[in-house]
Amino acid sequence: MKVFQNGYSLNYHENRMEVKKMDNDVYSFALKTALNEIQNICPDIKKSLVFEEDGEIIAGGEDTSEKIIKRVRDSFNGIMEKADAIGSVEGIVLEGSKGRVNITGMNDLYLLTATSRNADMKYVNTVTRVLIPTILTLLEKINPAPLKNMSFEEAEEAEEAEETVVEETESEEALEPEALSPETPVNQLIIEDLGGLLVPSDTIRIDSEILSQWEDLYDGSEIEKVEVETFGGKTTQCKVKPIKDSKYKEKGIVRMPEKIQQDLEIKKGELVRIKPVVD
Amino acid sequence: MGGKKKKKNVQETTTANEPIAVEEAVENNLRESLEEIKAYDGVIGYILRNSTSAAIDLKDPTKIIDYAILSSSALDASEILSEDFDLGNVNNIIVEGKNVKMLSLKVGANKVSVFMEKEVDCEKILKKIK
Repeated sequence: MKVFQNGYSLNYHENRMEVKKMDNDVYSFALKTALNEIQNICPDIKKSLVFEEDGEIIAGGEDTSEKIIKRVRDSFNGIMEKADAIGSVEGIVLEGSKGRVNITGMNDLYLLTATSRNADMKYVNTVTRVLIPTILTLLEKINPAPLKNMSFEEAEEAEEAEETVVEETESEEALEPEALSPETPVNQLIIEDLGGLLVPSDTIRIDSEILSQWEDLYDGSEIEKVEVETFGGKTTQCKVKPIKDSKYKEKGIVRMPEKIQQDLEIKKGELVRIKPVVD
Repeated sequence: MGGKKKKKNVQETTTANEPIAVEEAVENNLRESLEEIKAYDGVIGYILRNSTSAAIDLKDPTKIIDYAILSSSALDASEILSEDFDLGNVNNIIVEGKNVKMLSLKVGANKVSVFMEKEVDCEKILKKIK
């Protein structure tokens, strides 16, 4: 875990950026894996991509080069920009002498598949139109935050914003030396129910490894409380203890009593951000 | 049937020395086919163009420019996508919107786009054009 020497303002922005990047990475990775698996079980699919309405590529299967991604984005944008006359595009089928490209709208995304001429399209469609929507729905449930690959422009903007924050923070630091403190670490964890007769309703359980890392960061101070933040913006503070049950260990899980889940209007399977509270 | 006779006559007289006339014959045949297609249930209209002329027949004339631009974009995109995904020669591209779908293809030097309601069978139209 990284320890920053700058003030809280910088740490906050870097945390947000890291969390966003992690969201994007998880989403892209899950979709990329799904696309690769689809190509494995359906060798007729030569290439596959998932992208948004604005042509922003979310994930590409293996062997899909940056050059192709850029050209697909440009071509698709070219059609989308002129498609108002027929309503927004729901699908495109391009037939060639050696193969075909299918672009299918699903949820708010588009799936592109390039197949060979003799591909069994019933099988291809069955696989793609069942698997991809299922995975998208699952990802949406796990992480309802806006999810996409960070574009180069966004990355540059984020970097510029970060640099501005650094400058501002540095000038603030000159005036306020007390702002120097370790970065407040944030972990994203998936909620798992915690119940039982003797279970306190104000205590959550997380991996002991995370607690140890936090304690190291705060010079051995024991972490007894945490702040839980939902993606809907709700927060609460509660006590924290390490997970005892080995089947929940090292799985990125936070075990949470029903009462806290109700207070935060969240439920099992959703993601929350958790950070230590140090007095 | 008159159309078929016309085609035969033109081909007999132009194959060796007058390729331009053959192109004209292809265009004329296409126009005839498109006129028939336009009478199909659910067909909204068509655009036929080549380097020297264009014929547009749409039920809603206010959409001529929008449809023409979309047709051109789709055919351009089809060339690029075909090259990127190694699809060989482009046979056709179908763009399906919420309300309308468009079938575009090249026939010789002519670029054809047929606009229709979503329920219309594209295969039937393709057979008629080719």
